[in-house]
Amino acid sequence: MNNVFKYIRQKLSVRVSLWVVLFAALIFLTALGFMFVQSRDAVRQEAINRATQILDKTSLRVTGILNRVEVATNMTKWLVMRHPEIADSMFVYSQGMLKCNPDFYNCSIAFEPYYFKEYGRYFSAYTRQSADSILTTQGGSDAYQYFFMDWYLMPALLNRPCWTEPYMDMDMLTNKKEMVTSYCEAIKDQRGNMIGVINTGLSLNWLSQTISAVKPYPNSYSIMIGNGGTYFVHPDTTKLICQTIYTSTLEHKDTAMTALGHAMQNGEEGMRQLNIDGNDCYVFYKPLGSTGWSMAIVCPESDIFGGFDRLRRTVMTIVCVGLLLMLFFFIRIITRELKPLRRLAKEAETIASGQFNTRLPDFNRNDEIGQLSHSFGNMQQSLVNYIEELKTTTAQKASIESELNVASSIQMSMLPNVFPTCEGLDMHASMKPAKEVGGDLYGYVLNDSGLYFAVGDVSGKGVPASLFMAQATRLFRTLAAQQMSPAEICTRMNDALSGNENPTTMFVTMFVGLVNLQTGHLSFCNAGHNPPVLGGGENQGDFLQMLANVPIGVCPDLKYQGEEISTIKGRALFIYTDGLNEAENPQQEQFGDDRILDILRNTHFDSAQQVIETLASEVEHFRNGAEPNDDLTMMCLRVE
Amino acid sequence: MKKRLWIYLLTLAVLPIKAQKLVFTPQWTAQAQFAGYYVAQKKGFYRQAGIDVEIVHPSVTQPAMSRIRQNLCQATTLQLCQAMELVDTGLELVNILQTSMNNAMVIVSARDKDPLTQRGERVGIWSVGFGQLAICMSIKEGLDYNWVRFSTNVNLFVSGALDATLAMSYNEYYQLMQAGIKLTDKNVYRFCDHGYNVQEDGVYMTRDYYNKHRDQAHRFAEASRKGWEWAAAHPEETLDIVMEYVNKDRIATNRVMQKLMLKEVLRLQVDRESKKREFRLRPDMVKRASDLMKEYSMLEHEVTYDELIAK
Repeated sequence: MNNVFKYIRQKLSVRVSLWVVLFAALIFLTALGFMFVQSRDAVRQEAINRATQILDKTSLRVTGILNRVEVATNMTKWLVMRHPEIADSMFVYSQGMLKCNPDFYNCSIAFEPYYFKEYGRYFSAYTRQSADSILTTQGGSDAYQYFFMDWYLMPALLNRPCWTEPYMDMDMLTNKKEMVTSYCEAIKDQRGNMIGVINTGLSLNWLSQTISAVKPYPNSYSIMIGNGGTYFVHPDTTKLICQTIYTSTLEHKDTAMTALGHAMQNGEEGMRQLNIDGNDCYVFYKPLGSTGWSMAIVCPESDIFGGFDRLRRTVMTIVCVGLLLMLFFFIRIITRELKPLRRLAKEAETIASGQFNTRLPDFNRNDEIGQLSHSFGNMQQSLVNYIEELKTTTAQKASIESELNVASSIQMSMLPNVFPTCEGLDMHASMKPAKEVGGDLYGYVLNDSGLYFAVGDVSGKGVPASLFMAQATRLFRTLAAQQMSPAEICTRMNDALSGNENPTTMFVTMFVGLVNLQTGHLSFCNAGHNPPVLGGGENQGDFLQMLANVPIGVCPDLKYQGEEISTIKGRALFIYTDGLNEAENPQQEQFGDDRILDILRNTHFDSAQQVIETLASEVEHFRNGAEPNDDLTMMCLRVE
Repeated sequence: MKKRLWIYLLTLAVLPIKAQKLVFTPQWTAQAQFAGYYVAQKKGFYRQAGIDVEIVHPSVTQPAMSRIRQNLCQATTLQLCQAMELVDTGLELVNILQTSMNNAMVIVSARDKDPLTQRGERVGIWSVGFGQLAICMSIKEGLDYNWVRFSTNVNLFVSGALDATLAMSYNEYYQLMQAGIKLTDKNVYRFCDHGYNVQEDGVYMTRDYYNKHRDQAHRFAEASRKGWEWAAAHPEETLDIVMEYVNKDRIATNRVMQKLMLKEVLRLQVDRESKKREFRLRPDMVKRASDLMKEYSMLEHEVTYDELIAK
């Protein structure tokens, strides 16, 4: 799965195609969904209309035939009531009913017990169709006490004519069973007392056939239930008479089926959706006249929506295949369209590898890709020009760097790297420029007067400072050779380096000293330089208290004033430039005077070189990787 | 003489003993109410007992009571109250096996009414009897029901022609449920819960026949009891046997209804107090039924427990 996502992320064509197809699918599904819902509703409505029409038609047919029975019974009842006292005429009326209506099953005209005293307890003029003849008999007996039969009791108890629940009647002669229903009406005398019941039976075979024939869909079927929910028409003949619409719900609760049963029993008309034997079905139902029976057409949903479902499946298949083809072609087209970009990317790789003169392909297109290719060409040309310029500049820079290296060597050669080794003197110095060349200086001259030494710091950095430093160094050496006092050296140097001699107004701070190696007498002149540290004394080292004076080169015609210390024998003198105390770490904190003093006080003096190296190491550690911000010069000497 | 005796004994040993014939009539058409007898027949319990039993159901023209009166059957099932009525009329009967230990009769009211509030209303009752206890109760409780006698089934009630109807908890009760009638604690009155718990089905013979065939009667009763016990232990197989009888007689019923009926009939066979299937007539119930029926003029004289049991 991750590989699929990775592939999609890497392929613009696939990504764009997927988005397009996704949106197309969304639109298609919305439109088709709406269409399907509407169409399904239309199909459903059509099914309802169709079923309703069939139910109406069937109900009308059934009611028509039942009406005939009702009318004929009424007519006979009228005859009976004209002469209720003549028992024998009842046989004639009963027989007449079936003669006039050969499709009727039977007819009974039964009377209350002992109504006709000559016939005893029972009198029922009973006529029935039997094979090709009509049989008329006296129906009541101890074995058949009709007073307790539904057909006799119902019209009296309900106080209206009514249809009995269908029942199976067995013809003893033919041993044939027939489903029969009876229409029964109470016969009353002139005072309104019930004297008997007339009952006309009708075979329900025709009704069963009529209803069973109703089959609006290939797998649909019709059922009919009676007052008590008993099946009287059902494709499963084992259920006829034996089961009701509720039977299955007694074992497995089925609220939908129960609700349907109640609706049908209550004489309602309508449609319900329910699951019958695992199939989703639509059941359309309608009562049959005034019988209390109800008929229903059960249509499997697959039948009603079969055509619609086929159409939906086909359309969905077409849409799915279409979307897949769309995805395929989109990927192909976008891949083809992006091919120049890939070539351009490849050429860019070649250019990036240094082959700036690689010839870019001409796509001969005016679209965005053409424009990109054109812009890329321009960029390549600009890049070529820029590289050429860079080459020149780099060569120039290399030349300058070479010159600077030479200058650095010259500058470093101007600074002594060998120090006097005469007895009683330990001296060491170092200078580390912040750039190729620096503006710091140090030097010494050893002659009869003693040891001249100086440490200076030219304003600014780089080449100008180095040139000024070279001038100052040369002047110090020349003037020291003439055995002048440090103050005079500073005065003479100031004269030489200030005024018109210094158009760039550069200056140099300097500490110039002369120490008598025998006596340790130190005379010095400070020209605006950092105060050196003199070791020993009460505090094991302190900054030298001295006149500040102005740096050399600032003011012309200035006379510098010197100072002296009777002896520094046994005490180390440490001179440095501001590259030491102003050295900064990455947090831009300065090394500071206190730290210098602290380190020097706590460093045991082994040699001047060891002191210089200790401080150089401490500064390096303090800077913690930060670039040096100024030239760093240190000098240490001690006279024994 | 000795030789003839040997021949006689040898004949007895070699020839199979011919089973004695007995016609047995349950009081209603084929249904699970008589499952134990069907099982005894099908499983050969009667044959093993040396009786050739023929089960003949009653017909419209020959109800069970008529059949025993006319000696068309030697044994029949009757409800205790029915048996007492017959004894009261002079037909001496012997209860050889009592299956029911509880009363199954209920009154179901239409329109979700309490039957005890339906004073003077039309209540259905079987035309062939069974309703003695209900008539007593109607008088005793001052309800004066207007009894409407019907032959079979529940159609009258379902069509709305009755305000209430009597029903058996194992038969019509389920028929009503099957017809979509809602049965609740409110609209169903159970006689057994209101001081009218009188036993029902038992197997009866005329005392005359019993006295002449005591051994056969006992073997028949024992095999029938065995049939019922087997039915209680194997309800599904019993149901298969019941459905064979039902289908043979083309009775308009179904397996679901028969299953419910069998379950209820077996439940009614368990005595409420001992929680056992006792298969005996309870003297207290006989006394209760007799007192009630005599009090409301349904018996001329008291019918005692001793008059009914096999001595």
